[in-house]
Amino acid sequence: MIKTNNIIKTVSTSEGQLQILQPISFTVAAGESVAIIGASGSGKSTLLGLLAGLDTVSSGEIFLDEQPLHNMDEEERAALRGAKVGFIFQSFMLVPSLTALENIMLPAEITGLANPKQAAQEVLEKVGLGHRGEHYPNQLSGGEQQRVAIARAFITKPKILFADEPTGNLDAENSKNVEELLFALNAEQGTTLVLVTHDNELAQKCQRQLTMTAGELVEISAHSEEASA
Amino acid sequence: MSMTRSLAWRLFKHEARRGELSIILFAIVLSVASVLSLSLFSERLQGALTERSAEFIAADRQLSSRKPIAQEWLLQAQALDLNVAQQTATRSMAFANDALQLIDLRAVNENYPLKGSIKVSDSLFATGSATPSVPSANEAWVDSRLFQVLDIEIGDDIEIGDAVFTVTQILAEIPDAGFSVFNTDPMVLINADALPQANVTGAGSRVNYKAYFTGSTGALDEYYNALKGKLNRQTHRWLSVEDDESAIGESVARAEQFFLLASLLAIVLACVAIGVAAQRYAQRHFDPVAIMKTLGASTSTIRKVYLYQITFIAVLGILLGTVIGFILQQIVVSALSGTVDVSLQIWYWRPLLIAIFTGSVCALLFCLYPLLGLFSVPPLRVLRRDMAATLRTRGGQYLTSGLAIFGLMYAYSQNLKVSVILFVSGLVLVGLLLLATFGLIALGRVLGKGRMSAAQLAWARIRRRALDNSVQLISFALTLMLLLTVLVMRNDIVQQWKDQLPAGTANYFMINVTDAQKDELQAHFAANSVQSDKLFPVTRGRFAKINDEVLRSELTKEDEDNTAERRSGMGREANLTWDLELQNANEIVAGEWHGAWTPQTSTLPDGVYPVSLEERVAQRMRIQMGDILTFNIGSEEVRTQVTSLRTVNWQTMQPNFFFVLHPAAMTQFTPTYITSFYLPEERKPELTQLVRPFANVTLFDVDARINQIRSIIEQVSAAIEFILVLVLVAGSLVLVAQVQASMDERQRELAILRTLGAKGSLIRRSVIYEFLIIGSVAGFMAALANEVSLFLLQSQVFQMSTQIHVEYWLIAPLTGAVVVGLLGAWSCRQLLQLNTTTLLRKML
Repeated sequence: MIKTNNIIKTVSTSEGQLQILQPISFTVAAGESVAIIGASGSGKSTLLGLLAGLDTVSSGEIFLDEQPLHNMDEEERAALRGAKVGFIFQSFMLVPSLTALENIMLPAEITGLANPKQAAQEVLEKVGLGHRGEHYPNQLSGGEQQRVAIARAFITKPKILFADEPTGNLDAENSKNVEELLFALNAEQGTTLVLVTHDNELAQKCQRQLTMTAGELVEISAHSEEASA
Repeated sequence: MSMTRSLAWRLFKHEARRGELSIILFAIVLSVASVLSLSLFSERLQGALTERSAEFIAADRQLSSRKPIAQEWLLQAQALDLNVAQQTATRSMAFANDALQLIDLRAVNENYPLKGSIKVSDSLFATGSATPSVPSANEAWVDSRLFQVLDIEIGDDIEIGDAVFTVTQILAEIPDAGFSVFNTDPMVLINADALPQANVTGAGSRVNYKAYFTGSTGALDEYYNALKGKLNRQTHRWLSVEDDESAIGESVARAEQFFLLASLLAIVLACVAIGVAAQRYAQRHFDPVAIMKTLGASTSTIRKVYLYQITFIAVLGILLGTVIGFILQQIVVSALSGTVDVSLQIWYWRPLLIAIFTGSVCALLFCLYPLLGLFSVPPLRVLRRDMAATLRTRGGQYLTSGLAIFGLMYAYSQNLKVSVILFVSGLVLVGLLLLATFGLIALGRVLGKGRMSAAQLAWARIRRRALDNSVQLISFALTLMLLLTVLVMRNDIVQQWKDQLPAGTANYFMINVTDAQKDELQAHFAANSVQSDKLFPVTRGRFAKINDEVLRSELTKEDEDNTAERRSGMGREANLTWDLELQNANEIVAGEWHGAWTPQTSTLPDGVYPVSLEERVAQRMRIQMGDILTFNIGSEEVRTQVTSLRTVNWQTMQPNFFFVLHPAAMTQFTPTYITSFYLPEERKPELTQLVRPFANVTLFDVDARINQIRSIIEQVSAAIEFILVLVLVAGSLVLVAQVQASMDERQRELAILRTLGAKGSLIRRSVIYEFLIIGSVAGFMAALANEVSLFLLQSQVFQMSTQIHVEYWLIAPLTGAVVVGLLGAWSCRQLLQLNTTTLLRKML
């Protein structure tokens, strides 16, 4: 589902070019769940941004569902994200001026799904917030906001789901609920999951774990097939 | 409804409900409402004032001619649906009771006057009341003075030329009587049909023919264009209300300029408010845009969503602004209904169109650049919160905004000079402020060192947010400058009007006072507790030569001119005065006043005396400094050399002279004197008694004229007060918008400071200090820039005397500090009361 080939990311700084990702190559199979773990600043969010087509590689190749992300412009990548990718973020990233239901409808509307409202209501019920559809994000607790975000991620039945520290802003109980919900929906829809976290416990729930250190993918879990540093 | 439109509509609806759009919406409402109310009101007021000044030429347009006006010209006007009236004026003699008097004879037809009215009174020198009729063929309506001079009463007959008329009314006033102290003979009004039988307009008599026109502006212009080619400068003069150079004309013109200025400033303020609000709006939408992009929305989808939103906001803002502006204007007009006769019946489309145009242009142009930035927000912002819009340069925004503001100013004012002056002063201010900001930053670096006090925290914050602060500082200073400009202009205009006619301004002139009567008259007036002014000697002279050039008859004066100002030439008859002292409201602009001149030290040719000439007459007659002017007085010849040029304020109600000679030139002549005095309303019945001992003296009543001018000035002043309030409100709203725009940033800072353990009182004080510093700097800069723009406006546009307003250099920084400090503290009060947890939660 995801294939990277020697991807490198360099950024310009006042002191010249800085390579923040060393050449990275790995593959994620369809339906697989992969955790990218690492300390803050290790480059895991940068990698996630590249994999999801939010950012562009400096060199190397990324294929997302066999589409060459590295050759696409912003518009093409946006279209690909809309069609195949779902997102969950640490800070929820809900549109504050839309209700919970409207936030969930948003990707459905953008990608032109039929009956977005009905679909949004169904998935809202699934995350247990059927009665909170008309509430605005600031009227919901952190756990509820993340559940809305999960519902928004799944409404388009994406092939790949990227989650960036999905429980990073939540307390233990809410974290647990959100984790359960995330994995349950993932299993139900057979989605490929790429999850960035520094929470080892959460990472262990994924089939594979990739570890980032200082821009390098230095360690991979025992049952991985091909990955290189 | 398409997806983008429905999404835009939903976003708009929710954001409007939640108050997210309130500032930007408010800014648009404000721009439309203030532009509409100001321009609607000023248009109505101008209409009322123009109507009023039209009364002074008795029509919308007037054609004055020294030859009879061709009948076909009048028919041509009637064919264009214009109303036409006629008057023939000449000087003649009136006989009664064996006495005779030179009179100013006016023969009018039944349509006269087309604007204003003829006033007749029941008793001599009383204020008259309007009458719709004109004298019938054998009637004469006669000036109060003629009753005295000829010793006649109502019902008596007077002879004028070959005809006999029965005096049936005391003539108090005609609309276009004009105002000239000299050569003012008592007026007699008769019917135009009776003029031929009087036989006073034959060869040798100087006659002035006037045709009056009213009608639509289009028809009047069309008529003038058709007529223009046939008019001869020597013979004809075409007058419109705008040509009125009297005190009233000047007042109206100045008021119009002021309204224009105030409206322009309201537009600029509104644009700034919209720009500020749009910037904040865009910043608040960085996240939603990044989210939508992440979720797959294309840039074109996002563009459409936000353009729809701006359209919704603009439409709603324009609608609300129109309604509010109309109500506001209605309130102002009703409040003024006691003083200003402004008709509410007429609906003016122009202000509405201007307001809608302004609202749309402001909304689109000033939202556009922040929106362009918004479209460029990268989706990666969802992961990296520090990524904002990739705006290449702010220069583009400033250029676009600047051009848009200038375009609006010019489109609205159609006056390049006003637009350029305001715009350039604005630019100078921006430049000064950028320099000041850098200075502040450097200063802050020094002051901000050491342990944190509230003041140091404030400096540190100012320094840290250098760019934001410079933008904030500039907008505060611009707003304060614009407010100051309007305020000072208003004060100066009203003050100069008041100075022009202070309480106790002479309301009667006396001419023909003989040398022998001089002392007696002063003693008599003093005994009666009436203060008479200085007596000016006057002698009629024939203006014979300029250098060696003998003056031709073309320069002959048109006696019936409304104001001495408009004469195309001085003519051969001139009133000469002589004095060693320069009169009030006269200013030497070239050469030297002859007060210190003596024949012994003279550098002039023998037998030549100094003369001071009014500057505009000199220009019109192409007289240069040093020219030799020769006057014939009786059989004597007086040779003078122009040693100084003066400007004269013709708006003062005092005797003013074109030629002032050195007294040494006039020793052999016996002058008559002119003086003026003030008689309060309640003592008017004493007037006849007061002047009875001086039967030969001619009394000239200017009270009615003064009151007319005063009432117009009061009305216009009252209107200006209201406009000032409107502009002040607009300015305050910009300040609030600007403070609001920095709220998100402040919220973050407060949360951090609170978390780090800063005391609430420290933070509160530091916020207040910050606003005090910014306010006082902005105030000082505003005072500086204000001085420049006022100087240019007053000297170049308003034709007023200029002065430095030192007091504002102190007042402006203080006011800036207080106003901005209070506004800042008020806007931040909620933020300062939030606890740390709430602040931190709001940051997420």
